[in-house]
Amino acid sequence: MKQSIFERHGGFAQIRRIVSAFYDRVLDEPILARHFAGLNMAKLIDHQAKFITQVTGGPAAFTDEQLQRAHSRLGITMREFALMADLLVETLEDFALPADDIAAVDQAFRQRETFIVARRD
Amino acid sequence: MTEHRHHLPANDAGTAALQALDLPVALADAATGTILLENARFFQVFPSTGEVPEALATRLPFLDPETFRERLASGRTVTVETEVAVGARTRIIALDLRQIEHGERPAWLLQGRDLTKQKEAEYMLDSYAKLAEKNARELTREKERVEKLLLNIMPKTVYQELREFGTTTPHKFDQASILMLDFVGFTEMAVARDPATTIAELNDIFMALDRIAELFGCERIKTIGDAYLAVSGIPDSNPDHPQNIAKLALRARRYLERRNQAHPTAWRCRIGIHTGPVIGSLVGLQKYVYDVFGPAVNMAARLEQEALPMQILTCAATAGLIGDDFRFSEVGERELKGFGTKRIMALEAERAG
Repeated sequence: MKQSIFERHGGFAQIRRIVSAFYDRVLDEPILARHFAGLNMAKLIDHQAKFITQVTGGPAAFTDEQLQRAHSRLGITMREFALMADLLVETLEDFALPADDIAAVDQAFRQRETFIVARRD
Repeated sequence: MTEHRHHLPANDAGTAALQALDLPVALADAATGTILLENARFFQVFPSTGEVPEALATRLPFLDPETFRERLASGRTVTVETEVAVGARTRIIALDLRQIEHGERPAWLLQGRDLTKQKEAEYMLDSYAKLAEKNARELTREKERVEKLLLNIMPKTVYQELREFGTTTPHKFDQASILMLDFVGFTEMAVARDPATTIAELNDIFMALDRIAELFGCERIKTIGDAYLAVSGIPDSNPDHPQNIAKLALRARRYLERRNQAHPTAWRCRIGIHTGPVIGSLVGLQKYVYDVFGPAVNMAARLEQEALPMQILTCAATAGLIGDDFRFSEVGERELKGFGTKRIMALEAERAG
């Protein structure tokens, strides 16, 4: 069986650094930070960890329905979604992941747009 | 420092260093709870509401001094953790409190440590641990499901052999007993009645037979259409295999009699039982099944074909092995294809006591 990006890049030990760096970046963006303002940190980190694990093919597998349910009331815009994708790519670049892996993660992320984005503006 | 000051002179080198310190630090009067001095970081993390004098109680509402006043007075340190919003970020600060002398009055020194990154790692670890545990549970469930499926098609010891070595070898069992059962007029029943109902009833009966087999140390090997093949003494040898198979045959027949009394449709069986050497093996590579081979299996099938409805037939030799605890009646000599002429007995009942 082909190894996932998660496994190839050091599993949890390495991915947790990516999660941490990505989380810093997201919270530095005011338009993204508004979504996380009310959350306690445990919930926020949980979200980020599951998110990165999922898009790198790690041991988190949420169905499209689950994603849709979790995001339906957040009113996430297309612009926010695109910004999130850009930050993810930047973070992975900083961790010197190979370009094709970054492209694969980016694609896995963008594929789920319809289940995350609530407003097309 | 000998006097209480709210503002620190900028020319004091020590105070300047304190102000530049990235960690929140403050000093409060132990008796009144008034903040005597604080650095910039403390002011930022625990913002002032402009109250005069600045009280610990309003600046740090999560802190209840009465709960640790005694501990501090006795010289011990108290640590309190709190989440604070600093700008858009939530930061987790651990405040260490200890009591010092400040101008001959007891004062509390508050020193903050930023635990945010550490907590972040802890929360992340929690998240992953939960994910991993959830996956492990799912794997275990899946494994149990697979195991259950495999145990349906092969005996447990064969399954264990397969799991351990990835392969199994055929085993010869010198002495085992075989039961072959099928139903009179099954094909006609299936055609004449609603096939779904017929199959459902057949399924119920087979499940009942499985339970009886288990009860008497027998094991169902397979069903072929409406035929049911069970063994005793395979794969674990068992000196009581002839009696076990006889009990299974009698119980199966009694079960059907009782069932037929309670149901509109009668299911009548023929049963053949026989004892002899048998080879047991997994057959097939992708779609494997545990099966038994040998003349004893064929003999049981021939006997079953000779049986009248609800009759249990065996040969004289097997009847001898089953023994005196069971009652037989003489059927006579029959020509059995491939086996020549055999003296046939019908198993009637188990003798009481």
